[in-house]
Amino acid sequence: MKVINKITLGLVAATLLFVGCNENAAPAKSEVVKPTISEDSLGLRKTSLYDENVKPHGTKYSDSYAGSGHKIERAFQDAPPMIPHDVTGLIPIKIGDNQCLNCHLPDVAKDMGATPIPPSHFTNFRPQSSYAIKGENTSSESLAHISIEKEKHLVGARFNCTQCHAPQDTGVLAVPNTFEPDYIDPDGASKSRWNGDRMLEGLNTAESGK
Amino acid sequence: MSLSRRKFLKSSAAASAAAAIGMSVPAELEASASAAESGWRWDKAACRFCGTGCGIMMATKNGKIVAVKGDPAAPVNRGLNCIKGYFNAKIMYGADRLTKPLLRMNDKGEFDKKGQFGEISWQRAFDEMEKNIRKALKASGPEGVAVFASGQYTVMEGYAAQKMMKAGFRSNAIDPNARHCMASAVVGFYQTFGIDEPSGCYDDIELTDTVVSWGSNMAEMHPILWSRVTDRKLSDPERVKVINMSTYRHRTSDLADIEIIFSPNTDLAMWNYIAREIVYNNPDAIDWDFLKKNIIFAASPVNMGYGMRRAGEKSITPVRPDGSAGNYSAKEMQTINHEMEHIVSAKEAPALEPYGYKEGDKMVNKPAGLKHWEISFEEYKKFLEPYTLDYVARIAKGDPDEPLEQFKEKLQTLADLYIEKGRKVVSFWTMGMNQHTRGTWVNTLSYNVHFMLNKQALPGSGAFSLTGQPSACGTAREVGTFCHRLPADMMVKNPKHRKIAENRWKIPEGTLNPVGNQHIMKIHRDIEDGVVKFAWVNVCNAYQDSASAKHWIKAARNMDNFIVTSDGYPGISAMVSDLVLPSAMIYEKWGAYGNAERRTQHWRQQVLPVGDAMSDTWQWVELSKRFTVKDVWGPYTLRNGVKLADVRKAAHEMGYTDDTTMYEILYANKEAKSYKIDMNAFPQKGYDNSECNGDSRNVVGSDGKVFKGYGFMIHEYLFEEYASFGRGHGHDLAPFTTYHKVRGLKWPVVDGKETQWRFNVKYDPYAAKAVAKSGNGSTHAFYGKLAKALTQGDLMGITDKNKKPLTDKAKIFARPYMDPPEMPDAEYDTWLCTGRVLEHWHSGTMTMRVPELFRAVPEALCYMNPKTAAEKGLKQGDLCWVESRRGKVKAHVETRGRNRPPRGLVFVPWFDEKVFINKVCLDATCPMSKQTDYKKCAVKIYKA
Repeated sequence: MKVINKITLGLVAATLLFVGCNENAAPAKSEVVKPTISEDSLGLRKTSLYDENVKPHGTKYSDSYAGSGHKIERAFQDAPPMIPHDVTGLIPIKIGDNQCLNCHLPDVAKDMGATPIPPSHFTNFRPQSSYAIKGENTSSESLAHISIEKEKHLVGARFNCTQCHAPQDTGVLAVPNTFEPDYIDPDGASKSRWNGDRMLEGLNTAESGK
Repeated sequence: MSLSRRKFLKSSAAASAAAAIGMSVPAELEASASAAESGWRWDKAACRFCGTGCGIMMATKNGKIVAVKGDPAAPVNRGLNCIKGYFNAKIMYGADRLTKPLLRMNDKGEFDKKGQFGEISWQRAFDEMEKNIRKALKASGPEGVAVFASGQYTVMEGYAAQKMMKAGFRSNAIDPNARHCMASAVVGFYQTFGIDEPSGCYDDIELTDTVVSWGSNMAEMHPILWSRVTDRKLSDPERVKVINMSTYRHRTSDLADIEIIFSPNTDLAMWNYIAREIVYNNPDAIDWDFLKKNIIFAASPVNMGYGMRRAGEKSITPVRPDGSAGNYSAKEMQTINHEMEHIVSAKEAPALEPYGYKEGDKMVNKPAGLKHWEISFEEYKKFLEPYTLDYVARIAKGDPDEPLEQFKEKLQTLADLYIEKGRKVVSFWTMGMNQHTRGTWVNTLSYNVHFMLNKQALPGSGAFSLTGQPSACGTAREVGTFCHRLPADMMVKNPKHRKIAENRWKIPEGTLNPVGNQHIMKIHRDIEDGVVKFAWVNVCNAYQDSASAKHWIKAARNMDNFIVTSDGYPGISAMVSDLVLPSAMIYEKWGAYGNAERRTQHWRQQVLPVGDAMSDTWQWVELSKRFTVKDVWGPYTLRNGVKLADVRKAAHEMGYTDDTTMYEILYANKEAKSYKIDMNAFPQKGYDNSECNGDSRNVVGSDGKVFKGYGFMIHEYLFEEYASFGRGHGHDLAPFTTYHKVRGLKWPVVDGKETQWRFNVKYDPYAAKAVAKSGNGSTHAFYGKLAKALTQGDLMGITDKNKKPLTDKAKIFARPYMDPPEMPDAEYDTWLCTGRVLEHWHSGTMTMRVPELFRAVPEALCYMNPKTAAEKGLKQGDLCWVESRRGKVKAHVETRGRNRPPRGLVFVPWFDEKVFINKVCLDATCPMSKQTDYKKCAVKIYKA
């Protein structure tokens, strides 16, 4: 009751305010502004929109060879790592021809000086679709159908490595980014530890609800 | 307990916490630190990007996003994201976020269209908007006020914008960028099913035997769906077949058993070839019982033009002796003139023969609208006759270096796979079939094949239109944020539908404008024609994403109008605007998106917006405070003569006064205030809510005072009011709070249960109800309500004007192959196709500011065949010009990249501001859907 009264009062006040404001629609007198921002300074193009004689960025990926030991830090805890080496001749990835696996499968990665594919890639989260075959409704209820199945082979859904991992240009960024990672493991910048309990961490986002 | 023993862990949502704890660390895995111990808060959200609609888990600490992971509980993506999905973590942290409103001004601080930008207050920003909207209404009426809307609006934003535009300003000139991406699919759904959106769901992928991708590079554009396809393919490589149909080789080909490279626009011919194979060579494959109960045949006019400007429009008047016209050069007019008449080519002549045309005939085009009529099966059969393997292979083969016999074999195999008894088939498509001057046609042709074989709306089988944007379905289509639509598939031109909306919105009957024709290209053209005087860009980049871009930019900068852009970052639309507003980005507000499988997903505000940024919902609601009954509900006469009544008196009878604001009527009404703020209860507890409560930034609002919040749960109100339109009408949504507990639900949600396969009696309660009513014992009911009574005729036209009802039936359409309006010739000898790349989203405003995504693809390359390059004296890495009749851009040549076109075609993506390819592209559209064809125009390539 108290809350409602407060809200109602607030609204009445707000209504009065904007009615008042409507009557004085002129710019606030106290504002003294100077136009200092040019059209061309906005955005990524940094040059006139009306002339297309613009030099494109130009792409220069790392020419480190695969196996050279060069690594790129993960952007945040358990983020997919970017590809630090030249991929010429290694892609496209085809059925029966995924050259990434030659070096990154866990049993060879160490010897190859490559980042091993982590346990998450050998974990299948997708429940079998027998629900659908039987004609049952596969309810999307939160957590009701979480399935975690460990597999011996790389999970098929993670076969297309370039879906998450990409080579990186070595040139200047268009715009810096102010994101700050918060690695919770000491080796968080170099290693995924998204397995075990951590896979389920935080999933029940409706704890306070019922 | 080992993990393998716990294949399925069934538990209720309430018991799930315990279940989660029960899943202890397997012994073989290393122990690691816990996020909880490090002060992280995890919450679920939807990915910001494509129409797949993946679930993400997002960690925040000290008011900042610190990590993102794939959500193992999300049915769409099950613990996996693509590269963009993971980097949702960084999209809000580009260093050049807009933090204050910016206005073009002179040194005195007065608005000056030719001035540079200066920072202003929100109050001043709304003053300028108010002033210019009043000016536009006075000059052009409601048609003078327009909004470039979005398939990336949250559901609530789209609904808030639509209410103010249609109910407040009485303007239907609100149309989303989804027009550019989904409109052909929508008209295809309307014409075929009478109701929008797909029959099937993503579960089809795990259940099917065959995936055919029609002009869709799923591997890059729907990467998570492609990961599901890959998983399915690898699980049974012999049985499962993947066919990629495209005008150039790309990553989707890399997994395919068969790759069919076709000549642009000939998808029409290939669908009809498959249909002909069924009807002429495999008639036993037709399920006549299904067809008789559920399907009729239909035809429509073919001489409908290409959705370009028509003679007489202001900006192409006068026509000069040199062939130029108005603002358009003689070269541009060479293409635009096809809009009025067209000479039938040798390529299309056989397909048009059943319509009485032969090669060299002049086809006089006229707007045909959405007109269609019923025909007999015999007429349909006659229509199919020309699509022999010989004819179709001859016109469709897209790689000049491929032997014709090999191409024929592939087409035959394709048809055989569709027809094979017991083989389940899913056909997927997106922009290739939608961005098409016959986009509506080719969408309808896909259903023809699936219907005849009874392989539609079944688990594992169906033609399935994938959507491009995260809420093209949820917001643009379901909310009806289009010029011609209202919520839940209702139309502004239908008086009954308007009345329903008027009653629900508590506005006088007669308020809503019945004329909804200002689709997104029409808005651009209306600005160029001087009709639209005020335009507001919301959650899109209308000046980078529209073809023939030079015209629209010139009109925005040089004419007497006022252009506003709300965005998180300054893009090209901001550059050409008069006023730029800083918008809260996705995880800085509460929201909901709806994906391509009808799944609605909600999230909570994770962090506070930066600077003075506020959500688009807030911007609309604040704008509504500036307009009263007397300002906007007087009489108007539209340009076509239609009169909008003076509804002020009726408003008084409803208890409003002349001075009641649109805010009080549309947003802060009694119903709205019944949705309470409760910071002690789920889902609000512990989460910011900048619109409802204000926030610790103390942003100074539209009235010059610190904004303290609306004091009621406006997100829930907007969602629930919107949802009330669809409940009980086949669009049922669950309650607001439910969505915060689940990982989305596929509508219609009936008795708390989602629907996997619509129109199928076994899965869809609405279909079951319809069949119970009709008693025809069918397995399906196509219960959509639009265009469900047709006149009768033959391919040439209507012969009997009496309309026959076709309750619960769908349609198979006769629609021929036709050429696009601009094709390569001696001078412009190469096809240009534009589109996206995996790492960038649309115009790149977000993804180009994420270092990992920028570095992955820092520029738009001109992908071409090494032989094409050699012919032009170019090599890998050279700079070349790509020039059409409309403009040119410079790009680096890429001959060995991820996209590998055949000779005669180049692909240049559109995310890069520095390679402004939409200056080159043509703004021809499907005349029915008004969706632009970005996939084909003619260019020449030469060394820069």
